[in-house]
Amino acid sequence: MIIPFAKYSKLWVAISGATVVVCSVLTLMWGLKPGIDFTGGTLWEFSFSQNRPAIEDVQKAFTDLNLSNSTLQKTGDFGVMARTSFLTEDQHQLVLRELRAKFQTDSNNLREDRFETIGAAVSKQLRTRALWAIILVSFCIVLYVTYAFRKVSAPVASWKYGVLAIVALIHDILLVMGVFAVLGHFYGVEVDIAFVVALLTVLGYSINDTIIVYDRIRENLLRRRGEDFGETVNVGLNQTLMRSINTTLTTLFPLFILYFFGGASIHNFTLALLIGIASGAYSSVFIASPLLVLVEKWKRN
Amino acid sequence: MCVFLAVFILCVLAVAPAYANRGIDWVNTKMNLGFPKLPEKTFNLGLDLQGGAHLIYQAKTENILDKDRADSVEGVRDIIERRVRGGLGVSEPLVQTTKVGDDYRIIVELPGVSNVNEAIKMIGETPILEFKEENNDPPRDLTQEELNQLNEYNGAANAKAKEALKAIKNGMNFSEAATKYSEDETSKNNGGDLGYITKQNYPELYDWAQNHSDGDVSYDLIKSQGGLNVLKKTSTRDGEKKVSAAHLLICYMGAESCDNAQYTKEQAKKKIEEIKSQINTQNFVEMVKQYSTEPGAGDRGGDLGWFTKGQMVSEFENVAFEITLGSVSDIVETKFGYHLIYKKGEETIKEYAMSRIFIKTKEKTDIVPPASEWKTTGLSGKQLKRAEVAQDYQTGQVQVSLAFDDEGKQLFSDITTRNVDKTVAIFLDGEAISIPRVNEPITDGNAVISGSFTLAEARLLSQRLNSGALPVPIELISQQSIEASLGADSLQKSFKVGIFGLLLVALFMIVYYRFPGFLSVLSLFFYTALTLAIFKLLGVTLTLSGIAGFILSIGMAVDANVLVFERLKEELRAGKSLSSAMEESFVRAWTSIRDGNITTLISCAFLIWFGMGFVQGFAVTLAIGVLTSMFTAIIFTRLIMRFAVSLFKGEASWMFLGYKKEKLNS
Repeated sequence: MIIPFAKYSKLWVAISGATVVVCSVLTLMWGLKPGIDFTGGTLWEFSFSQNRPAIEDVQKAFTDLNLSNSTLQKTGDFGVMARTSFLTEDQHQLVLRELRAKFQTDSNNLREDRFETIGAAVSKQLRTRALWAIILVSFCIVLYVTYAFRKVSAPVASWKYGVLAIVALIHDILLVMGVFAVLGHFYGVEVDIAFVVALLTVLGYSINDTIIVYDRIRENLLRRRGEDFGETVNVGLNQTLMRSINTTLTTLFPLFILYFFGGASIHNFTLALLIGIASGAYSSVFIASPLLVLVEKWKRN
Repeated sequence: MCVFLAVFILCVLAVAPAYANRGIDWVNTKMNLGFPKLPEKTFNLGLDLQGGAHLIYQAKTENILDKDRADSVEGVRDIIERRVRGGLGVSEPLVQTTKVGDDYRIIVELPGVSNVNEAIKMIGETPILEFKEENNDPPRDLTQEELNQLNEYNGAANAKAKEALKAIKNGMNFSEAATKYSEDETSKNNGGDLGYITKQNYPELYDWAQNHSDGDVSYDLIKSQGGLNVLKKTSTRDGEKKVSAAHLLICYMGAESCDNAQYTKEQAKKKIEEIKSQINTQNFVEMVKQYSTEPGAGDRGGDLGWFTKGQMVSEFENVAFEITLGSVSDIVETKFGYHLIYKKGEETIKEYAMSRIFIKTKEKTDIVPPASEWKTTGLSGKQLKRAEVAQDYQTGQVQVSLAFDDEGKQLFSDITTRNVDKTVAIFLDGEAISIPRVNEPITDGNAVISGSFTLAEARLLSQRLNSGALPVPIELISQQSIEASLGADSLQKSFKVGIFGLLLVALFMIVYYRFPGFLSVLSLFFYTALTLAIFKLLGVTLTLSGIAGFILSIGMAVDANVLVFERLKEELRAGKSLSSAMEESFVRAWTSIRDGNITTLISCAFLIWFGMGFVQGFAVTLAIGVLTSMFTAIIFTRLIMRFAVSLFKGEASWMFLGYKKEKLNS
């Protein structure tokens, strides 16, 4: 059985185009919520051994110490996660002493689980590094794609393969950003270094997937000269379809388990990977290939 | 084939040596052989998996010449490393410097450290060593103006005090007068009440109270520290007891401060029992002179003078307070050895409840502070070449000896020359730790600090002096610390995730691709063992993100096999024989596998360059995983496929996806 993907090229491109537009609008409108990695500040998790005081009381304790721009949330049964401005070690110890004096009793211990504080200089460095990493990785991938497709020319120029692979890639990245813009807006999910890492991994993965589909199309082009281009693309797609599905599944299985059982600190990281990798497989079939067919058609007309 | 089996076994042994060693133990005990055990190297765990701290310091290099900056920052790095290794006992700290733009930073990673605050203090601590000489410059005299001011102030105070006194004499209520006149902020609104006082906290007031009865009010002004008082004694009570006693000590090897031990513990016990049978209050002093092992005890007859509770070790003072006056105690054992105690006196210290009206006065020293006893010489830890623990030949006293560099040698020689027969003081962190007398000029640049150190204290001091002051001030600009139990929790979780992920993928491959799927699962297990062994042998630091990278690479490792098997399916459907279909599919799938993995490696390369812990952990494991997977998925799977195909005599069957029945009929 051959699924006629290429026949509905315009439909696929339209759907995906709509997704890209919606995600871009959401991302531009709400923006991504930068985490302390990029803004500087403190992320502080502590927990109580017996019972957690009311979160408003803890919030008040922070406000009383002039840390008025802190946000607190509950984690687990006994934990509190606080976000506040950068604290020096002395300030950190002072706040800790105050919290202990207010909430700690003989039977109810306050334990510090994780304390991260990042000063402005470090967060600035992380911002620049992250930006450079994204730029350089994208640049190198474009170079590589151009190189990989250098041998195919007719009927579509080799550089166009590269450009279209990047278009598919942009779709995947925008989808992940769109989802995180929504999560950030409604649930306060922040974007940190881990998110950038996930994006860069998705970059590699999405290109990988597109390359494998194009590779097959390229092979078919060499073998079945003279056939309709749309048909050739369609055969290639069908031949690689099961591979795409299976590979994506075998990658997504462990990621799902990681997402559900891997612990809170890499929760968002895995989520970004899950969305990006699923989207990477989708975009090679429903964006990169249909666009290839359309580009070839435009060229003929 | 055998080679791979051997590699697989080696990998498993490297990953889990404990099990293998248990087996070796078993064999060794059963058969009485002596097989050597495998080294039990553990995985390098990141901070997020074992707890610890990651600190970033900014070095403040503004005041240092450009060309010297890198060197000074390296110096700071070395010192910090010494401090965390020596002072905190962190066995594998990571201390490195980085340059970001024009800023120099020092990154300190302390795995397994639980008290991060202490670590931060230890790192930032700057011990300051200074040499000071006697200050003989007289304090300056007051100027005429200052003198006038002082007299004016004290005149006014005196008048005010007299007014208060007069008011009381005229029948004014004492507590009202206190509220009106007193300048003692804590007591004035409380009727001037000070509560019960002791000789220690108010010596002048206490002296007055001793000679007056309850209810008396002073009809003169009583001078005390910083002012004038009108006093009222309200009541008297018994305070603490004090005891005067002498003791005889027999110390033994291992007891505290027993430097010249003559007895073992058993011998000491026997000795003290023997003495106990002979001793009484009359011959106590004699016996002390003869037997007590306490240095200098003979001269004082073992006398300890007056003491109150809390001044002596508890076993000793319990007995000293309990026994009747004028008796000798039973044998008392403390950490110093065995004691016999002679109680010579007992008194109850009186405490008096007092009220006062206090008027402040000023002294000359309030205007011109008293000149410091010591003045700086310019010689400090900066000119120190090294410090060592030494021992005095004659007394056996523990000392710290110092050697100076050329500048320090000159300075020290000058200082000792001008201070012969005077004292100089060695200050550490603002405190005089040793005040030796200079007997003759010292020109060789060697000095000795001989405080009353224990060996451990002396060692610590010399370490701190050697590590010296940080050449560049540093500021903590980022801190990440993770509680150890949280890390252990994450480790356990990710371990489970890894196992489940692996099993799920294996199950999927077998169900979908049948026999080749089973073979790919074999190579997947081989891949897992090989990758983990590489992590261990290369010392890759495993972090939570690293494990995520590894888990992701499991999916990618399978990808290569999926590509091959899909190809195999097609080739079989095209009617090729099993063996040629297999060879063909590996060849054709290779370019796709290569191209696909290269993009992932490009991302990894930049992520590793990125340099942050989280990112690096992920990228390193992912990159190693991708490289290893290309090897196992292509070479290893092909090898076992060839082997398996020969078992099937080159013909496909239902066990291969894509197999067509018709082919047999055609």
